[in-house]
Amino acid sequence: MAAEERKKEEKGRFIAERRYVDDQRIVEPEKLEAGGVDMSGRWGTLVLPRTIEEFDHSLFEGVKRLPRGGKVGKCWQCGNCTAVCPVAHANPMFNPRYLIHIVRMGYQAEIEKVKDYVYLCSGCGLCSAACPKDVDPQGVMIALSIAFKSGRAKGGR
Amino acid sequence: MTGTVLVVGGGPAGLRAAVDLADFGARVLLVEKRDQLGGAPVRWKYRSLAPDFTPTEEVMGPLIGFCESSPMVEVHKGSVVEGCEGSVGDFTVKVRNEADGTTTEHRVSSVIVATGFEHFDASVDPRYAYGRAPNVIGINELEAMLKEGRVVGHDGRPPKRVAFIFCVGSRDRSTNPWCCTVCCGVSIKQAIEMKQTLGDVQVYMIYMDIRTVGLWEKLYWDSMEKYGINYIRGRVGEVYYTGEKLLVKGEDTLVRGPFEVLFDMVVLAVGIEPGPGTKQAAGVLGLKLNEYGFIAPRQPNVHVDSGRDGIFLAGTCIAPMSIEETLSEGSAAAMQAAKVLKKTVAV
Amino acid sequence: MPEVIRVSKKEDLEISKEDLKFLEGLGADRRAKLAMGTTEDYLRMLEKMKDLEKRGEITIHHVTDEYEPAGVRTLSRRVKKIPTVELWQHKSCGQCGHIPGYISALYWVMTELGIPYVDDTNQTSCTAWNYYGSGTSNPVALSAVFLRNMHAAWEKNAYPLIHCGTSYGDYKECRYLVVMSREIRDRVRSILKKIGRDLVIPEEVVHYSEWLHVMRWKIAERRKLDVSKVSVAVHAACHTYKLMAEDFTYDDTVLGGKKPAPTSSTALALGAKLLDYSNWYDCCGFGFRHILTEREISRSFAYFRKIRPIVRETGADVLLTHDTGCVTTLDKSQVVPLAHGYKETVPVMSDSQFAALAMGAHPFIVCQLQWHLADWKPLLAKMGVDWASAEGEYKAYLERVRNGERPAFIRSPPRNLENRVRGESA
Repeated sequence: MAAEERKKEEKGRFIAERRYVDDQRIVEPEKLEAGGVDMSGRWGTLVLPRTIEEFDHSLFEGVKRLPRGGKVGKCWQCGNCTAVCPVAHANPMFNPRYLIHIVRMGYQAEIEKVKDYVYLCSGCGLCSAACPKDVDPQGVMIALSIAFKSGRAKGGR
Repeated sequence: MTGTVLVVGGGPAGLRAAVDLADFGARVLLVEKRDQLGGAPVRWKYRSLAPDFTPTEEVMGPLIGFCESSPMVEVHKGSVVEGCEGSVGDFTVKVRNEADGTTTEHRVSSVIVATGFEHFDASVDPRYAYGRAPNVIGINELEAMLKEGRVVGHDGRPPKRVAFIFCVGSRDRSTNPWCCTVCCGVSIKQAIEMKQTLGDVQVYMIYMDIRTVGLWEKLYWDSMEKYGINYIRGRVGEVYYTGEKLLVKGEDTLVRGPFEVLFDMVVLAVGIEPGPGTKQAAGVLGLKLNEYGFIAPRQPNVHVDSGRDGIFLAGTCIAPMSIEETLSEGSAAAMQAAKVLKKTVAV
Repeated sequence: MPEVIRVSKKEDLEISKEDLKFLEGLGADRRAKLAMGTTEDYLRMLEKMKDLEKRGEITIHHVTDEYEPAGVRTLSRRVKKIPTVELWQHKSCGQCGHIPGYISALYWVMTELGIPYVDDTNQTSCTAWNYYGSGTSNPVALSAVFLRNMHAAWEKNAYPLIHCGTSYGDYKECRYLVVMSREIRDRVRSILKKIGRDLVIPEEVVHYSEWLHVMRWKIAERRKLDVSKVSVAVHAACHTYKLMAEDFTYDDTVLGGKKPAPTSSTALALGAKLLDYSNWYDCCGFGFRHILTEREISRSFAYFRKIRPIVRETGADVLLTHDTGCVTTLDKSQVVPLAHGYKETVPVMSDSQFAALAMGAHPFIVCQLQWHLADWKPLLAKMGVDWASAEGEYKAYLERVRNGERPAFIRSPPRNLENRVRGESA
């Protein structure tokens, strides 16, 4: 698709400060009506706040029960995994340390934003060799990819 | 010439010094401002001591018992040292009983200062709503709850979700710029005890650095790996009482994410600061305070040496430290007093 | 060569001569642009205003005894004089356009209390919204508009009472600019000359919520409805207490003197239950320009950062505020989220409407709640107002107005007064 066309179809493209707002925060209703008033599209658009209002560990608990995800609870966010990760050097959206933390705390908007990048993991295993706490981040990435695929990204419910 | 040593302060350091000196054969004059021996661990009813969850009584009980019963130790509770004249080997000190106002005079060979610390008063920093909102407590107050085995909010119900806020009144220019060294470990110990006591509770540690030095590190690892305690790196800007729960506003700095999450209880890891007793004793004994209000030793690597011959220092009146260090400092100071005795009287 | 200069009692700074010169230049620039910062600056401005009057450069419209002033404490701890009678109603564009009940309720309250006032047709917009919204306009134009309206009040022998928070904030700033800058003063004077007016600066810039604050006990005496069961949350308008913060009313007996008193004090005096909430200091979502240029963010902020926390935390029956933009934003911004299926909602109105309702004013003829979108029916029911029959009365009233009846509480616009400026017609 040409860049022009992509821009036309971009969600919430009419928001003046669009580039400060993550896609995940924009709710642009295709069809919305109340009291006989049409509020579809721009008229009914909401921008959800950035504020984290809840810590939800259900996805995290689910990951712990998946193959190779069992040791994720040991992670203390030192960042050794990302420091050695060859993919993270190329793509800022793939960050094993960050993925583990947002899953642990259940930061839904952040998970939605980066979850598809988990599949970029090349499986090289450098992270698991570097991890001082024996978290096995490479294994955790596999467990996360299963969790996201099986719809557990919505808090396992 | 006299064979008596004055120990100012009946906390861990002072008690340890008194016991060692009495064992050594010296007479001890133990002056304690409060009506009870044991210092902060007893006064605040510490349930157990980091890093191994040793019950406080196991450590403090024998020391207190010895001093209360030994004929070698003369205990003056509810008393303060009011005057000190003379020099090493022969000091004359005045001890005033605060309850009846009577003053007694004593001759002592040397003095050990072990006036300890106070927990930071969190109401000084209005961010945390301490003293204004219910269920915002200090780690000092939580100890007593844990000891009683009954951790509950003001409504009598056990909390389901608890936040520990680290470095309250520590590492902050507007309050106290130093690190209290032990509150990370103590908070983590309490978080584990809270899990053990309540079972069904989510605990969140909101920290800026975790400083579980030395072997205390095990507490940190266990809290995560065995007890599933959550760690959030960041600071808290405001605690707001909604009338029902505590809304904690802060930032998770690992994700640059502002949060506003409801908690049932907020525990403040209040730091260590020098108390009024330390200032008073330093004034009477002519000792120098450092820029923070702790007693300044002659040189910082040798804690026992107060800079005045025959006056020795021990424990948290010099700097924040753990209880194991405090106890060792008590013994170290006792050794200095013993050296003076050896020079001046035949023991 | 670096030299050491003393920055403050606590701080010395080692700095090169070139850098020092540069920083001094910056400081001078800032002062020339009149950064309105400290309480000292503000108090200095009031002193300078008196000097200018002595030198005959300006006329001050004093809050003389004929206005029966009441004293209030401001954030600067200075006592501010609030005129209570002979008021010149400085209306608000958004208020008249979006929430007409705001203004008619205020007039009704004043009429009930027997307060003489002027509802002058000879008033312009303050144009500040335009300034905030689009960055057009400039200090001279804004100040000229400010003084034009102040002069119109002065020549009618009435004291300006500003309804709109934005106008009020803007006027406080403009007054500062005019007093502190000779250049602005001279340029404004030449503009005013062209329309036959001169520099008349009010001694106090007064917001209507401050008037309600000082009149609250008199209002409470005439209360007809029991509102003791009504719980109230208050939103204070940024433009009233964050612009020239030292010039707004605080009262040690209201909210511990820590938050602005007006509106909260009125609700308390009427006997309502005042509830606190966590986002008290946050904006309503109107922003300065956001309501115009970023409606999506404005309405989302209003709902997610104000309405929803307020409803969740307080469960208040009504949200009171004292500015046009705030009432509008907080009320209208609930529509889209509710259509999306969000449940939290609370009726929003001005303190004047709430006071009028409590004094027994008609909910539709006077308070014009029909213009408010968030559901006010449960509130009215709780206050003991039979809104269904009131609606019937309102329809009959509309019919009568259609047939030529004049609303009783709206006065003939210009009061027939002799102009202060002789020989010139306004």
